[in-house]
This record gives sequence, C-alpha cells and structure tokens, in this order.
Amino acid sequence: MNNFAVKTEGLTKVYKDFWRRKSTPALTNLNLNVERGEIFGLLGPNGSGKTTTIKLLLGLLFPTSGKSWLLGYPSSDLKIKNKIGFLPEESYLYKFLNAEEILDFYGKLFDIQRKERKCRIDRLIQDVGLEPYRKRPLSQYSKGMLRRIGLAQAIINDPELVILDEPTSGLDPIGSYEIKELILEFKRQGKTVVLCTHLLADVQNVCDRVAILDKGILQVIGSVRELLSQKDAIEFLVRNLSDDDIHAVESFIRNKNGDVLSVCHPSSTLEDIFINIIHNRK
Amino acid sequence: MVIFTIAHHTFREAIRKKILYVLFGLGIIIIIISPLFPTIDEPDARVKMMLVVFFQVVMLLCIVGILLLSATSLPSEIEEKTIYGILSKPVSRLKIVVGKIIGFAFLSALLLTILSLLNVILIQRIASRLPEGYKSILKARNEFKASKFCIQGKSHHTSEGIVWIKGGRTGIALWSFSDLCKKPNSKSSFEVEFDIKVESSKGFINTIPLAVGIEDTFQGRSKTEVLSLRIDEPLTLKIDPEIVRNGSAINITVFPIQGTDYIGVTQNDVKIFSVQKGFVSNYAKAIVITFLKFLLIVIIAVMGSTYLSAPVSIASALVVFLCGHILDFIKDFSLLIQRHDVHEHALPTMLKKPDVFLIYLDYIVKKPLEWFSVILPDFKRFDSLKFLLKGINIPLETVGVVLGYTTIYAGICIFISSVILKKREFF
Ligand SMILES: Nc1ncnc2c1ncn2[C@@H]1O[C@H](COP(=O)(O)OP(=O)(O)OP(=O)(O)O)[C@@H](O)[C@H]1O
Ligand SMILES: [Mg+2]
Repeated sequence: MNNFAVKTEGLTKVYKDFWRRKSTPALTNLNLNVERGEIFGLLGPNGSGKTTTIKLLLGLLFPTSGKSWLLGYPSSDLKIKNKIGFLPEESYLYKFLNAEEILDFYGKLFDIQRKERKCRIDRLIQDVGLEPYRKRPLSQYSKGMLRRIGLAQAIINDPELVILDEPTSGLDPIGSYEIKELILEFKRQGKTVVLCTHLLADVQNVCDRVAILDKGILQVIGSVRELLSQKDAIEFLVRNLSDDDIHAVESFIRNKNGDVLSVCHPSSTLEDIFINIIHNRK
Repeated sequence: MVIFTIAHHTFREAIRKKILYVLFGLGIIIIIISPLFPTIDEPDARVKMMLVVFFQVVMLLCIVGILLLSATSLPSEIEEKTIYGILSKPVSRLKIVVGKIIGFAFLSALLLTILSLLNVILIQRIASRLPEGYKSILKARNEFKASKFCIQGKSHHTSEGIVWIKGGRTGIALWSFSDLCKKPNSKSSFEVEFDIKVESSKGFINTIPLAVGIEDTFQGRSKTEVLSLRIDEPLTLKIDPEIVRNGSAINITVFPIQGTDYIGVTQNDVKIFSVQKGFVSNYAKAIVITFLKFLLIVIIAVMGSTYLSAPVSIASALVVFLCGHILDFIKDFSLLIQRHDVHEHALPTMLKKPDVFLIYLDYIVKKPLEWFSVILPDFKRFDSLKFLLKGINIPLETVGVVLGYTTIYAGICIFISSVILKKREFF
C-alpha cells in the first residue's frame, strides 16, 4: 500500500508489430508519484507516450515491464475504477444515443442508484452547457459538444482521481477556460487530476506539478512554479507612473548595479482578450 | 446489474440497425405468403409447407441476421474505441461478453416470439379447415415402439433385414407393446400406424386387404379387422381406448388375406401413438429448442469476435454454422478416407512402397476433419421440425438434452471468450 494517487515503477511499454516482434518503444522506465489532491500535468510533444501511459494505468494495455498503482491499489484491480474518471483523447462515444441516454448508460455501469443517477445527469448536463441539446443524438453533435459530454461522462461517478487526456482539444476558448475552471474546482473538492496535454498554456495556470515526456522517456518532473521561476531575475508590475519617474527608477537600479533587461507595458494574452470580449457580449 | 446494462445497451444498439428490420420484414412477408406456396394435393401438405418454410427459411434468415449482428458488435466497439468507455468503468471483461450474449439472446427471443406467433396463428386458421383424418399434424403424439417382434408360422424370405410374409395365413407378423399407459390420462386416445411394404404377384394394384388383430394380453380380449392397405402409404388405425386402459400391454398381428399378396415388415414398422391435443405446446417446445440454437450461434459468434476482426468473425461464425449442419457429412468423409488405411495395413500392401500421397492425405485432411467434427457444435440435435411434421410430441427429455448440450457448449465458449478477452490489449 502506498498513499499516492498514481504511482508507477519502471513502467515500460514496447508495442509489438503484427508478427508479435517488438518494434516501437513508446514508454521507457517511467517512475511517477502523483500526490493525492494535486493537479498533475503530463506534457510532451506528439507521440511522446502520454496516451500510452494513461492506457497502461487504466489496464487497456499491459506493460511490457513495470508496475503501477492507482489510489494505492494495483491498477489491475477492478474495484478501484469506481473512484476513477477517464476522458479519452478523442470522444469515443455511442453516436446513436443522446446526451441523457449515454450518461445514463455510464451511470448504470457504475451501479449508481436510479434517483441519484437522474439527479447527477441533470446537473452534469447543466454544468457542461448542453441543456438545450440533451435529447439530440450524439451523431448530430459538434466536436466540442462531444468533448463536453465526454467530460460529463468522466465525472458521473464523482471520482477521486480524474484522468483527462487532452481535455481542451476541440474546445473553443470559452470551453477550455471553463474546463480549466472545472479542474481548479476539482482541486477545491480534494480530487486528484492527471492532465495530459501538449498545450502548455493549459498547464501553466492550472497544474501544481508537471512531468515532461519525450520519446517515452521522462525528461523533467517538478512543480510548475519551480520550473518556471528565474531565480536571478525580478519583475515589478506598476501602475500610474510618469515617464520621468520610470527613468528615475531605471537609473536607480543601474546605480545599484542591477541589469535592466526590459521595461515595457505588460501585454495580456490573446486568450484573455477573447474571453473578455465574449463575456462582455453576454 | 452491470451485465443487464450491457445487455440492454447491446439490444438497443442492435434494434437501431437497418439490417434487423429488413430481415424482420422479410420474415413476416415469407410467413404470410407461405400458405400460398404450391404444394402437393394432400390436405395437410399446406400446413407442413408452412412449418417447413418457417423452420427452414425464416429461421435461417433470422439466424444469419443475428449472427451478423453478434459477430460484429464487439469488433466494432473495439474498432471505434467505444470499448474504452466500458473498460474504464468497474466492469470485468467476462461481464462484457456475457452482457453482449444476453442482449442478443433477448433479441432472438423477441424475434422468435413475434414470428412464431404469426406462424402458429396462420397454421391454426388453415388447419381448422382440414378434414378430420388429416388433423394428426395438429396433434402431439407420443410414440411407442414395439418391445417385441416375431413371426408366427413361417416367413417367405428375408432380405436386407426385411421379413417378407406371404398372404393367406402362412405366417403372421406380431408386434408386442408394453407400458403404454405409464400415466393414465383419460384425455389421450391411442392409434396404431402401419408403415408396411407391400408386393403383389397380381401386378399393379393400389390396395391389398390386410387382416389386423389387436389383442389385450391382460384380459385376452381381441378384435380383428380387415383393412385395405394402400401401397406406399402409411395406414393409421384408432384403438379402442378400453383395450389399452385395462391392459397397457397389447399385441398387434398382421397378415395379408390373399395368397397372392406379400408384406415386408421390420420391428419398427408398426408404432403406437398416444394422441393428445396440444399442437401449440409442442410448437412452443420446438421454438424453445430453436431459441437454444440461436443462443448457441450467438455465443459462438461472440466468442469469435473477441479475437477476430468483424469480417473474419462473421466468416468464421458462418463456417461453424454451416459445418455444424453437415457434421454427419464431415464424419462420413473422414471415415471414407480411413477406408484407405485398412488396405494400407493389409499384409500384401505392407511390402509395397507406402503411398506418400495417402499418408499426407491422412494428416492434412483426415486428422483435422476428425478434430473439427469433435469441436463443432452438432446442430442436428436442434432439429425440432421433424417432430412437428409427424405430429409427434417432443419428449421433454429431448428438450432437456438440448438444454444440457447448449449449457455445456456455451459454458466452454464463454470461458474461452473471457480468457481471450482478458489477454487482449486495446490500442
Ligand atoms: N497501437 C500502436 N502500435 C504501435 N505503436 C503505437 C501504437 N500506439 C501508439 N504507438 C506509438 O507509441 C508512441 C507513443 O504514442 P502515444 O499515443 O502514447 O503518444 P501521445 O504522447 O499520446 O501523443 P499525442 O500528443 O499525439 O496524443 C508513438 O511513437 C506511437 O507511434
Ligand atoms: Mg495522446
């Protein structure tokens, strides 16, 4: 027993080709510890082994070597899946059902009681903003709407550990903003979140710690703040200063032997502007 | 229950497919037009035709449809990766297999119920207009075979197991029946069916006069009648219920009256049937057996689909289905090849150089065929049509044996499927 939300020890996966010969090493000797209650980012370029890691954790694939634990239990343990929510990297959903039916199906797989199930489904559909489309078959959903229903399905069992594989792919900026808010909400509720993505912007504002994979090998692991902070530099953000005052401050720093690297107006990100515009219109 | 969730889901997915409605519609059309198919002139031929069409044609259609659906269900989930959604939930892989099977079993049951109801209603309507003598097809008869068979006097000759008797009391064929009334049932009546071969030295004639005696061995009462036996046609004779009720053991004697006539008889040529109404319950039993056949096919198709891709699993399930029906043929065929061996081991040929071709044939064809016929399901066991056509009550033991066979076969298949699926990775 260990008390990590996710723990892997020497996890390795080599895909075999048609003739069962080992061909592609997708993940090599991964050691990870994800604490309970943290938001953990698994980063890496395309084909770096993020999805492979998740499939190994969920038992969709079997490791070539190594072991993994979820919430303290071996990941092959079926019971543990009661406490896990999973959003696959694409929306693999039954297209002939509508939002209500599909959530009901997944709710039943968790053996959630009828009344409770109905209650959660109503709330989730509301939360992911699909209320107007709840009776529409998924075959008529847009990619982003599918993503939303996928997310709803991942948390229908009120999981302790949520594994999200590229949750923001296909979502509009509002959607990805909302997802980020949702992830922070999970953290407030004490859930653990494992977030796979290659969109660094997603990670920066949200994750407590990240691991960066490349070609299946773990490159870095650490807290976001630690990784990003430049220990030898410092930044001021000041308002209401005249040009003369700015020059005075600059020369004061020079006198103290400090290098002034840049003096500029802070720019907001395009994402901020987009969200501002959309919000103001509403 | 998670299994029933998956079963319900499987069912719902299947009934949203077009192929099912096409088959269903086709089945209904065939059943409705089946009374119009041309048949021979005999009054009950129409009913027989409807039974044959239902059990051979409509059921074949349905089986192929169900087979297609059940062989593609799992592969398409794996292909479209919707299986991730199930596997990431606390659902064991065995439950997925069983859930799928139950879903298709339910679908089969529904299909069978609707179609068979339609068929049985139509049959009842048509049969209500049949002349009295031909209503035996609408009955459920229990068959009794003779416990003893002998010739009193002398037989004319014996060829190929058939004993021939010359007319005019030179010899009398006698069949003894016992235990006719295990469970005395005032509703059932009894009848004898004669299926006797006839020759006449007078050349071409249609009927010969036949003396038939029915004797109650317990009280010694007997009754003799002269019947005219049509050549190449079975003859049915009602027995006075009193005779059977008291004795439960009776003797039946037969001889041709005229010295120019001959009859050829064997032990099984004379049978006694206890007759009950109850075509519908008999039909229901036949449908239960057919349902078990559907179930077995679903299980085999699902088993194949745990490992194979959709087209391959359809093909393999079809092959198993077809071969299961020609199992006798396969067995005969492998026996046929074996005949060569006998010559091979004979002393003179030992000295000859062994025929390499035959040895190869042995290993390439015969051995695999033998194994094949052991592994394959034996669909002959599920043939309930032959009972219905003769109006014979399907014994409960037969249903039981088929049920047992299906259970064992299904158990093994489900076990194999779950082992395969457990080992499987989902990329
Ligand atoms: N079924 C498979 N058979 C063989 N190789 C595979 C298979 N699936 C993935 N791979 C290989 O494994 C490596 C890791 O793939 P993976 O899907 O884990 O990447 P990823 O980090 O999720 O990438 P992305 O950001 O594009 O989703 C890649 O080199 C890929 O080509
Ligand atoms: Mg991926």
